[in-house]
Amino acid sequence: MTSPAKAEGSGPTVALEPDLEPKTEPVQAEKKLEGRSPGQLMWQRFKRDRTGVICAWIVILYFVVALAAPLLTKISGTDPYTLYGQDPTYQDKPVLDDFGLPLGYFGGLSGSHWFGVEPQYGRDVFAMLVYGMRTSLYMALGVTVLMMGTGIVLGLIGGYFGGRTDYWIGRVTDFFLAFPQQLFFIAFMPVVTAFFVDPREETPTYFRAVAMLIVLWVLGWMGMARLIRSTVLTLREREFVEAAKVSGASPGRIVRKEILPNVVTPILVQFTYQLPSTILTIAFLSFAGVGFVEPTPDWGKLFANGAKYTEQDPAFIFFPGIALVIFVLAFNLLGDSVRDAFDPKSGR
Amino acid sequence: MKSFSSRRAQAIVVAIAAGSLALTGCSENKGTNTGDNAKKDQQQASVQSKAVTYADAAGSTGPAPEIAGAQSGGTITVYQEAGLSHLDPGQTYVSDAGQVANLLFRRLTQFQEDDKGNVSVVGDLATDSGKMSDGGKTWTFTLKDGIKDAKGNAITSADVRHTVERQYAKFIFDGPTYLQTWLSGAQYRKALPGGGFDGKHLPKSVLDTPDDKTVVFHFDQPRTDLPQTLAMAGYAIVPAKDDTKAKYDTAPVATGPYKIASYKLGKSLVLTKNSNWDPKTDSVRHQYVDGFNFDFGVTESTQTKRLIADRGNDKNAIQLTGGVEATQIQDVIKNPAVSKRTVKGYQPYVMQLTFNMDRVKDLKVRQAITYAVNSKSLIAGEGGVYGGDVAPNYFAPTLPGYEPKYDPYGRLKTPQGNIAKAQELLKGVPAAEKKVVFAYPNSENGQKRKVAIEDALSKVGFNVVSKEVDSASFYEQIGKLNNPYDMYITGWGQDWPSPSTVVTPIYDGDQVADGAPNYAHVKDAKVDALIKKALNQKPEDAAKTWKEAEHYLLEKVVPGAPLWYTKQFQLSGSNVGGTRYGSVSSLLDINHLYLKKS
Repeated sequence: MTSPAKAEGSGPTVALEPDLEPKTEPVQAEKKLEGRSPGQLMWQRFKRDRTGVICAWIVILYFVVALAAPLLTKISGTDPYTLYGQDPTYQDKPVLDDFGLPLGYFGGLSGSHWFGVEPQYGRDVFAMLVYGMRTSLYMALGVTVLMMGTGIVLGLIGGYFGGRTDYWIGRVTDFFLAFPQQLFFIAFMPVVTAFFVDPREETPTYFRAVAMLIVLWVLGWMGMARLIRSTVLTLREREFVEAAKVSGASPGRIVRKEILPNVVTPILVQFTYQLPSTILTIAFLSFAGVGFVEPTPDWGKLFANGAKYTEQDPAFIFFPGIALVIFVLAFNLLGDSVRDAFDPKSGR
Repeated sequence: MKSFSSRRAQAIVVAIAAGSLALTGCSENKGTNTGDNAKKDQQQASVQSKAVTYADAAGSTGPAPEIAGAQSGGTITVYQEAGLSHLDPGQTYVSDAGQVANLLFRRLTQFQEDDKGNVSVVGDLATDSGKMSDGGKTWTFTLKDGIKDAKGNAITSADVRHTVERQYAKFIFDGPTYLQTWLSGAQYRKALPGGGFDGKHLPKSVLDTPDDKTVVFHFDQPRTDLPQTLAMAGYAIVPAKDDTKAKYDTAPVATGPYKIASYKLGKSLVLTKNSNWDPKTDSVRHQYVDGFNFDFGVTESTQTKRLIADRGNDKNAIQLTGGVEATQIQDVIKNPAVSKRTVKGYQPYVMQLTFNMDRVKDLKVRQAITYAVNSKSLIAGEGGVYGGDVAPNYFAPTLPGYEPKYDPYGRLKTPQGNIAKAQELLKGVPAAEKKVVFAYPNSENGQKRKVAIEDALSKVGFNVVSKEVDSASFYEQIGKLNNPYDMYITGWGQDWPSPSTVVTPIYDGDQVADGAPNYAHVKDAKVDALIKKALNQKPEDAAKTWKEAEHYLLEKVVPGAPLWYTKQFQLSGSNVGGTRYGSVSSLLDINHLYLKKS
């Protein structure tokens, strides 16, 4: 899409801002009509959508917080690995009772533990949350982008070219769909680990991350490919595509310039659903014993651990939960806004 | 969107926020004092660790004394998370099958407990707990009259012989091996490959049945513990006529007060009264309830929730081997009505961080780790004070010879680890030896243990390399002699109340083999000599020798760092009467139950 600077730079486009006099608009618009690409139009519409802008800021904030986790924990003076409830060096400041539940108010909320402490071990929830967001957000983003990318490319090719190409891409998609993803992972991961990692050396965390990334990617792109293919199949027969063909445009150009802009809507919708669910998939893998292991902080795992204590220590799930709810909501609303900005007629 | 006014939205948000704060119990947790509790538990344990007495014929004659206030009738529901490991008595070594076997099968001898926890061995099928002669090398048992199996066939000495001999067959592989090894040596299967099915039997010089009512065991050395060995569920009688070999594991024939009405593997098991069981011949078991319905696949968390709620059929329910789930323990403790319905006590297991002595050869390293480990954080992962207690030595509170104050590593004073002492020991130890590989089962619990071990050891300067091992085959992996790991957390419990069932299997140098429980690979001449000495001594003298062996192991050999004693904490429904902790099974005493209103 066009950069905001360029859109602003074209000067008189400011005239489109709603707070300006509406009666001058037709005149101005008529003058400037030639200068705007669909991208610019989209950006203009998006900026006017207050919900979208707020959500965009929230999402950006999450990514910044995740990136700046070490700085934030420096301010709070905690880290996600110290067992504040069990460590003999913190014995003078007990944070847990005999049942391993946090002492004090609301899950052990205090000046040194802003979001309270975890039951049993007494690790700092704030530090675990910001570090966990780091692991989960960037892992999920990586996996989702890879899945989307592969799905879009294969879907476009299959849908546009049809015939034998479509047939074979379709069968490959079927083949991968037939794999039970999580089962495959559970069986596959120990074998890979045994193959690449010395039995007397610890499995490095980056190794786990890369392995998860690859397997989730390889076994996760099919839905997207199917979706794009079906959308492209209908677009292929439309007049503007025919027109482009007749005027001699190359297939590459038609795919890029005529079809791709028209499948942005399903891509965005799918993306906004996929990212949060990938966070939870990664958490599930941790539980099945093939994902990240303790003590690597993980947002999804933190959330799932909290779920076990909902009755005894509801505060433990409160902060990770609220953070997850806000993020998923903002991310979905942002996706909606962007889609509306691209295609204002579709949503309303 | 427009119709949804922002003021209304604000009100809703505020209401939700306030509601959630109220719901989440914004009250201060000031901690609960559980100090008295630990003391009471230890008193109870001192009873548990009392030596077992052998009863005479009078004590072995039925019927069992009535339980005050007991009623007949009704059906007890039994919850269990996983399906049963086995039903064939010969394969029964694990507590879930052992608990069911207590209802289904009879043995030559059995344990009798009173309400105070005193344990004695009485005759079950035998008229008494056995007659010892030749200094313990020969044991004679006489069968009671009028004993039948569920099909109505009389049980004779030939059935006892068959029970012993079938243990030599290949299809029996999961049960205890004490008796077979004592009779025919470590390679016992070679002595009778057919397991008695082909008409070949053990020689009369080993196992003799002079008449229908008499069984004589001959050993090459004194076996004073034999009555306790025979009381294990693994040596319950399998009548020769009923034996279906490997198929017996799903459809055994009962000899006890209950028989199997239906069994769906891993789903359900229904027990009904066995009319051929004569209460006059049994001094321990009762037949108050009409039957038991076992419900498998109910998670520990669900079991606990149902039993706390105590509604409908759950009033008649008990837990088989599961306990109160760790996170819900405080819900049970803080509610007196629920707390009343619990039984608790020590289990016989001592959890320890076992060193692979073929790899961790430096005594100083082993001692430093023993000082450094944090028992408290490990116990926290097990559910806190109700899940376990700090273990200062290798003997569990349930074991005769248990010394609560024997604490060479100051574990009771510094349960979170003695960092200074560990660091001092590590001075001068080369960096290469400070790299230790810790293997853990890759389960939720295993990962928790990993965090605690890593945290404690890296604090004193160890470079801990943690390796995950598939949790289902964890013991198989670490049981391999050439396993690549330096240490692992293992637990072992007595088979009957004698240190011989603890020290011998896990520290005897002769028993180092693939899959054997000597996970530390201890091969120490002095330990072996002490074990040999103790096995040939009378119980009172042997107790001293065992103690000497334990002290020597813990101070000079250090095959493992004692971490914690496990505890049992079970809940039952409000209509279940006669509940008490069985110190032999270390579970609810399942032979002592009735329903208050049927």
